[in-house]
Formats: sequence, C-alpha cells, structure tokens
Amino acid sequence: MRRAVADLGRFFAPRSVAVIGASAQPGKPGHVVVRNILANGFPGALHLVNPRGGEIEGLPVVPTIEALPDGIDQAIVTLPAAQTPDTVRALGRKGVRAIVLAASGFAEVDRMGAALQAELGRAIREAGARVIGPNTTGHVSVPARFTSSFFPLGRVRGGNISYVAQTGNFCGISLRHILSAEHFGVARSVGLGNKVDVDECDLLEYLGGDAATGAVFLYLERLTDPRRFLRVARAVSRRKPVILLKGGASAAGAAAALAHTGALAGDGRVADGALAQAGVTRVHRYSDLFLVARALAVMPPPRGNRVSFLSPSGAFTVVLTDLCRSLGLEVPPLEDRTRARLQALAPSFIRMRNPVDIFGSVALHGYERAYGDALDAVLGDRRVDAAVVIMMLTAETGVPSYDFLVETARRYPDKPVYVTFMGAHEHDLAARAWLEPRGVPCYMKVEEPFEVLSVLARCRALTA
Amino acid sequence: MTVRAASLIRAARARGQRMLSEHESKRVLAAYGVPVARETPVRTLAEARAAATRIGYPVVLKACSTDAAHKSERGLVAVGLRGPRDLGAALAALRRRMGRGARGGFLVQEQVQGSREVMIGAIRDPEFGPAVMFGLGGIFSEILADVVFRLAPLRPHEARAMLRAIRARRLLGAVRGLPAVDTGALARSLIAVGRIALDHPTIAAIDVNPLIIRGRTAVAVDALIVLADPVPPAA
Repeated sequence: MRRAVADLGRFFAPRSVAVIGASAQPGKPGHVVVRNILANGFPGALHLVNPRGGEIEGLPVVPTIEALPDGIDQAIVTLPAAQTPDTVRALGRKGVRAIVLAASGFAEVDRMGAALQAELGRAIREAGARVIGPNTTGHVSVPARFTSSFFPLGRVRGGNISYVAQTGNFCGISLRHILSAEHFGVARSVGLGNKVDVDECDLLEYLGGDAATGAVFLYLERLTDPRRFLRVARAVSRRKPVILLKGGASAAGAAAALAHTGALAGDGRVADGALAQAGVTRVHRYSDLFLVARALAVMPPPRGNRVSFLSPSGAFTVVLTDLCRSLGLEVPPLEDRTRARLQALAPSFIRMRNPVDIFGSVALHGYERAYGDALDAVLGDRRVDAAVVIMMLTAETGVPSYDFLVETARRYPDKPVYVTFMGAHEHDLAARAWLEPRGVPCYMKVEEPFEVLSVLARCRALTA
Repeated sequence: MTVRAASLIRAARARGQRMLSEHESKRVLAAYGVPVARETPVRTLAEARAAATRIGYPVVLKACSTDAAHKSERGLVAVGLRGPRDLGAALAALRRRMGRGARGGFLVQEQVQGSREVMIGAIRDPEFGPAVMFGLGGIFSEILADVVFRLAPLRPHEARAMLRAIRARRLLGAVRGLPAVDTGALARSLIAVGRIALDHPTIAAIDVNPLIIRGRTAVAVDALIVLADPVPPAA
C-alpha cells in the first residue's frame, strides 16, 4: 500500500503550517522552530498551538488543535514522545496530511520506546497522514522558504543540492557547517529520524522529479527496502547524480559462508555492486558529502577520468600524478597543438607537457597570462575531461585578480575546473571567497580536487 | 530445464544434504546452459575405466560426495591421468585418503586444457537478496579477491560490464598468443547463475570455481551448490 509521491509536496511546498507545542520560551524547540520559519521568510500562513494561548514572536497562539482553521497543509509537532500518538490522531481528524515529529524517546531508546513507536505507527495509519521522523531535527525546503528544524539555523542559503540523512542532526549541525564553511546552498534537506513512515525511497523518488534539485546526497545506515531503493535510484541516477555514504556492511549467512563466494562477499562488496548497478556513486567519508557537493553545485561531473593540472611546483607534478594513478584518474599526454601553445608561453629549457609545470611561464608573462592561456589550452584539448589549477599565492610573488579563471572556466561548461592552493593561507581564503560564489570550486588541500574528480568520474561512468 | 534442477535440489534436501555434490551441482548448471566439463559418476574401477575410455584420456579423477568441499586441499583430486594404469593407482590413493567408511563415489572427468581460470558465484545477501559474483578463478580467487558482485537478475549489458570490472580484465582479451574469450557466452553463464539463485530460494550460495578457458569458451570444471539451512516448520 504505497501512497503517491505527490503527498510529499505538502512537506516541501506547504501553503499553511501549524506548530504544535509552540513555545514562548527562547531556546525551547517549540520556539526555535518558529524563529527559523520566520527567519526564512515563509510566505504561507503560520499557526501556533499551545494550551497557554497568548502570543509568540508577535503571532497569535490557539490553545488546541481543534481550534485551528481547516485546510492546514503541514504540522510540526515539538511535544514530548508520549503525547505524539494522540497528537497525530487529532491532526488526522483536522485533515492535516503531512506531519513532522521532532520528539526522541522511541525505538532508539528502549523497549518502552519501541512500544510507543508501534502505537505511533497505528496512529499514523488511522490519521492517513505522511510523517517525517520521529527523532529528527526536521527538514528544510529553501524554494518554499520553509524549515521544520528546531535547531537554530537562521536563513538557509538556497542552491541545487539536496540531502537525505539518516541522522537527526543533519538539519541542525551539518547544515550549520554547510552554511558557515561552504558557499553553495541547498534545495531540500531531510533528517529521516526513525523512518516510521517516510523513508529514503520516498524522498529519493520525490527529489528525482524535483526541478530545484540538481544532485542528491544521502547518508544512510540501513536501507528500509533495498530492492525498492535500487529501483528508484536506477531511475533517478539517469537524471541527476546520486551520491551515497552508507555505513555498516551486512554479513553473509552461515550457510553461504561455506562457499568461496560467501567468504568473498564480505567487506560490503555486494552493496558496492548493487549500488553501482543502480548508478549510485558511493563515497566513504562524511566530509565527501560537502566536498563533492561543492563541485556539483556549480559544475557537471567530468565526462571521463582524464585530468590535466597546472602546477607551480615540480614536486606537485610528481606526487599528484601518483595520487591520480591511485585514484583511477589518468593524466594523459596532451595533443600536439596544446603542447605547442604551452611551449610558446614557456622558457625554452622547460619542456611543456601534462601535468603542466607553469612556474617558468609565470616568471615570463605574469600570473594571468600564464595561467589563463595554459588553462584555456588544456581545456581545449580533446584528451582532457577536467582541469585542476594549483595557485601559489604570497604577497611577495604577487596576488592576481581571478577574473580570468572564472572566464576561462565558463568557456568550457562541460569540463570541470577546480582550484587549489599552496602559499600564504590568508590569500587562499580570500581567493576561495571570491571564486566560489562565481562558480569555481576551491579546495584548501591539494589532494581534495583530485579526490572529488575521482568520485565524479565514477559517477559519470556509472550512469553513462 | 529448470524442472530437472528443481527435482535435483528437492531430492538432495529430502536426503538431508547441506550441499549438492559436485556432479549434482554441475547438472543444475548444465540445465541452465552453463558449459560444464564432461564427466561420469563412478563407484568401481571397472566403471571408472569404462567412463575414461568413453571420455578419452587424459582424465581427472575426483572424490565426489556431499561433504567434500575444498577437495584439492584434501588431496582428493588426481589430474593428468594418461591411461588405465594411472587411473587405477589414483583411485586406490583417493580411497586411502578418504578413509574407511567415507560415503560417496568418484567422478571421472575430461581434463579441460587451458591456462586461464575464472570464477562465477552467487550468494543470497541478507540485505540485497540474490547477487552474482565474477572474478579471477582457481587458486588465486581467495588470495587476490579480484571479484565483483552485481544483483540478480542480470541484464545482458550488466553481465558484460562485470567482465570488465575486475582488475585482471585483460586476462579475457587476446593475451600471450591466447585467443580472446567469448565474452558473450561467459556473460550468459553469469546471467544463468543469477537465474538459478532467483529460481531456487533454497539455494544459499553457488561456487563455480574454476571455469577453465578452453579455446575461447569458459568451461565449468568444479562447482558447489550450498543449500540454505532448513527452516523449522512454523508453529
């Protein structure tokens, strides 16, 4: 009995919302959620429920769910766990079909919590509502200028990246990290919590058809329905990148372990294969959820695994070529005409090839011309799918303006260009702060752009 | 075709076997179109000699029972038997190693000539369900673990992609004077093994290891089908 994906629209584009358990006391979840909604400029109707009535943040408060007007799209419940089943039933009677449950204290805690969660399941079926949670900080939908999060967020920056995470903290701490450490923004973000109703399959299906979502990032520990997830992912990954961080490999049964195949199935190899088959790109580090998103927010995945990079240091040309090899990236020989263009910029004693040792050219022609022409040359090369620019910035050697990087990258919209640095840190930070909002991803560690390219080359290969 | 496989599996379970014998396993594979080595189960020296004459020397002699997994480690395989005398000596040696009271008989098998070995397997993953494995075969399969898994049922393009997904993929090409492997046929064998796992929920795992590349074709020379532990009847 599967309800339509369209049901989820009430979560992501509600016209009217009620907060059950709204609080006048600063710092309480029921207060923070109201402030979050106001901070994001939610244009719909906002109704608050608290038995004490009165006013919160200048908005009137009604004492009961029964006192709410009809036709409310979504309710956020910040009451304690024990009160949630009855609250869900009351909301069902009021015709509310989308409910976010914040409370913890269910199956994640103990057996009594599990019993309460079972009762909650029954209440949800009676109410005929869809439910996100419980045990979650909630969700964010920037195109609707809306959030149900009770973690202080302030205004959430919009973008084309969407997240689904099996951790309550995602729409809290992780989102705060994105807002403060990244320049990209999000479209939708959901903390799944205990998945008592809405699960990752429902959301992936919804986000697959969501015009505001350019790429979907998931953090999952346990798939509710693996076969359905793969079916949905197979369809969605044809349209947009689906990147997954999944913890915990399942162990083979005892009988299967009698066979070689069973022994070889350890180390998550079955999950690796199944996910690859469905076009899902697996990553293995939490920080990849942000580093890879930084690139996909502004540039497509590379067409292939062939990389060129511009380096001001001979050491980088050596160690980063080694790194590329271990990451499954190629550093191919360049076309003759590309090499001729590079050589024309360089002192005769440096033989120009891939990777491009740019130091001599900079000494002859200055940053902008040396880097700009070399980048244009390698991006124009048919053997190159992506380029990395390593900038060396110090006050003494000069700090260029970065327009040329943005302009050159724009001339080759199919080929990603990432920038990384080695030099005086304050200039690196300033360069990133200027470049990223203008669509050029920057990485503070020299290995990171290559690691991201490796993930995205895999992504492209899986869905080609 | 699958009816024959189903009755083999049912009969084995009825006898309380935890796995099919090598010969039974290969009959299931053959029923699904996987190329298998020619072989005959035998119990006596006379039967063995008759079988060897029919198959043609050189032959392989193996212990064949339902509790003889990992035969080569236990010295229960004799290869390269060139005539009746070799065969007689090998049979006596295998009987000694198996010890008094060992159950099961022997298999006389054609000696499949080839220097490349691959492996196909299947497993019922607790989370994802039936999955097919392909990898480097023979004695290297466990040491190098150069294997790739995909879920069944496999589509033809997915099966072909599996062949390209192992590190040793070049092994399947034309290398060192050897012809390129018929990857279409090998892909069909992968699909077939997945089909077996899907069709028979009582199978816990399948090993086809190795398949030896003879000419251009991968031929199964050893196989093992492990059955799921019987489920206690519902109360």
